[in-house]
Formats: sequence, structure tokens, C-alpha cells
Amino acid sequence: MKITIHIWDLPHRLFHWLLAASVTASYITAKIGGALIDWHGRLGLFILGLLVFRIVWGFIGSTHSRFVTFFPTFSRLVAYLKGRWQGIGHNPLGGLSVIALLATLAVQVGTGLFANDDIAFEGPLFDFVDKSFSDQLTGWHNTVFDFLLALVVLHLVAIIFYRGVKKTNLVVPMLTGKKKIPIALAEAVATDHDKGFGPLRLILSLIISSTVVWGVSGGISQLYPVQSQQQIAQAAPSSF
Amino acid sequence: MKKKSTLAILLVASANAAVAGPIEEQIRFRQSAYSFAAWNISKIKEQVVNHPETFNKDSVAAAANAIAAVANSGLGALYGEGTDKGVGWKQTRLKPEFFQKKEEVTVAANAFNVAANELAKVAATGDVNAIKTQFGKVGESCKGCHDLIRINE
Repeated sequence: MKITIHIWDLPHRLFHWLLAASVTASYITAKIGGALIDWHGRLGLFILGLLVFRIVWGFIGSTHSRFVTFFPTFSRLVAYLKGRWQGIGHNPLGGLSVIALLATLAVQVGTGLFANDDIAFEGPLFDFVDKSFSDQLTGWHNTVFDFLLALVVLHLVAIIFYRGVKKTNLVVPMLTGKKKIPIALAEAVATDHDKGFGPLRLILSLIISSTVVWGVSGGISQLYPVQSQQQIAQAAPSSF
Repeated sequence: MKKKSTLAILLVASANAAVAGPIEEQIRFRQSAYSFAAWNISKIKEQVVNHPETFNKDSVAAAANAIAAVANSGLGALYGEGTDKGVGWKQTRLKPEFFQKKEEVTVAANAFNVAANELAKVAATGDVNAIKTQFGKVGESCKGCHDLIRINE
């Protein structure tokens, strides 16, 4: 006997698919370059907002979005590898993958904020660091991307593996939010998996994430103005 | 005509590194050239893309002419043998593969020439939208060489 439970709440699912789309788009815009590099910058800020939202949601979202529910602690990992783990949401290896992806994306976005492309683009916090340090961070931004790509490939391979070998479809629950599980399992593990989240928590998460994005995209510069290239670039034509 | 001259300069430079002087000098000159171009690029970016309300036709046209002048100056002469290692104003980031990729480099370098000359032409008209479009193409042509022969830091 199986029952259907709500596993991924709507904000969680929206986060997931928006993240997948915006990371893909930011890769494409960076590869093409030219005028699209400005869109790469905007996408980066959007991804920053998504990441902050996800971190907040990891504390106040519904059960299976919370870090405490799926954080890959050592004992959980050991239990899983010995086949003794029981659960509904991310298994410990999946949890490890989630944490690795979020952390890598955070480094990627963090370095991008200070980066420059030595052509016509500077991250929104470029003016707060030396050019040489910005160059260094840009190098990391390029290098970390390869690591991120490897994690994304692993993520996709795992989904195909679950589909083909374990006969579990991971994609549909991420679309519908619903998952069919055996009643026995539902009774064996936490009973509050259907608990919702309420509009207040959602609003709070959105306020926090949009405040952070506003801050790095111009708010901080307004509060703490620094010497920027803008002054040199805006200067009227000189008489000589 | 310009294509031919760039190619000729690249070939001469590879045949005889002594043409453009000591390695450090070549690196310093080319770093200076790109740095000067960067200042002019930042002016166009600021006045055309970021804050078009500050657009000044003369300033942007002068900047575009400067970029074109850098592109047309025969920079290939500054890429002599051995200039993948050395310190100009700072350590060069030229990949050693540069010397095995002469043909690809020539194509990429010519793309920059063509795009920069077109930008100078468009800038003279003062048409902000057209300048913006062509400015993006110049950026793409910069990236062409960066991706090909520049070391990631």
C-alpha cells in the first residue's frame, strides 16, 4: 500500500527550476560574451537572491526543505551506506550533493560580485577591491565553474541512475511536489512531513533575499561610496 | 589591406623577435596598449550602456577612434618569440600555445581590427543604439583572443 505525500513545497520547487534555468542562462551569456555579459551579471544577482532564499528556507521552510531534515551528518551517511537509513526526502548522499551544489554556487556568485572580464564588465562590488585581487577572484570564478559543472553532471547522472536502476522518478516530485511512498515508511519516519509553511515565512524569506540583492547591486555603494572608475569614464572631453 | 598588414606583422615578429626589442619591452608596450584601450572602452560602456544620459558624442567618438588606433597599430609586432614569459608592468598572461596557434590568433586579431574600425565609424554618427550594438561586437572580439591565448589567473 502506498500513500501520496507532499514533499517539496512550491517555493522550493520554484527555487529549483529557476536556479537550473538561470545557471544555464548565465553559462550561455558568459560563453557568448559581448553585450550579453551584462545579462550574465544580472543573472548572477538573481542567483544570489535564489541562494539566500534557499538558505533562509533551509531554516523556516517546510519539513523536507530544512537542513536539519537532510543535512548529511556523519552518522546519517554511515547509516545510509550500510543500508540502514530510512527517510522520505533527500537521502544523505543526496543531501551531500545539495550542500555541495549550494556551497559551490555561493563561491561562484561571491567571486563573481568582485570579478571583471578585462573588457567591459565589472561585478557590482568590483570597486571595493584592488584590480589585482579582482583578477585573482575572476580566475577562481573561472576555475570553480568547472567544479560546478562536474557537480551538475553528477546530479543529472544520479537522476538517470535512480530512474533506470532504482526505478524511482525524482523529476516528477520536483514538478508536482508530490511523492508516493509505502504507508509503512510514512509511519516509520517523521509524521509532520505534510506540514506547510504559511505566507509569513515566505514573505520573510523574500524580504531577506531581495534586501541582500539590493545591497550588493547598489545599496552598499550608495551607503558607502567609494572611488569608482565611473568618474573617470564620465568625465567631459578634455581640451587637450 | 589591414588583414594583410596584421598578418605580415605577425609573421615578421615571429621570424625576428629582435624587431620589437627586448622581451620585457614588448610585454610592457602591449600591456600599456590594452590598458589604454580599457580606459576608452570604459568611457563608451559608461556613456552608452550604463548611463546613456551622460552620453557625449565627442567623448565617445574620441574613445572609439583611440580603440581603433590601438587595434590598427600593429600589435602583432609585440608578440615576438619568448614573450610568453616575462614581466612587463606585471607578469604576462600570454599562453605559450600562442606560438602554435598563429593562424587562429590572426583570425581573432583581425576580428578585433574589423570590429574596432566599424565602431569608430558608427561612433562618428552619434547613434547611441548603433554604437551600443557595435560596442558589444568589439567586446566579443576581445573575448576571442582572451579565450584563445590568455592564461586564466
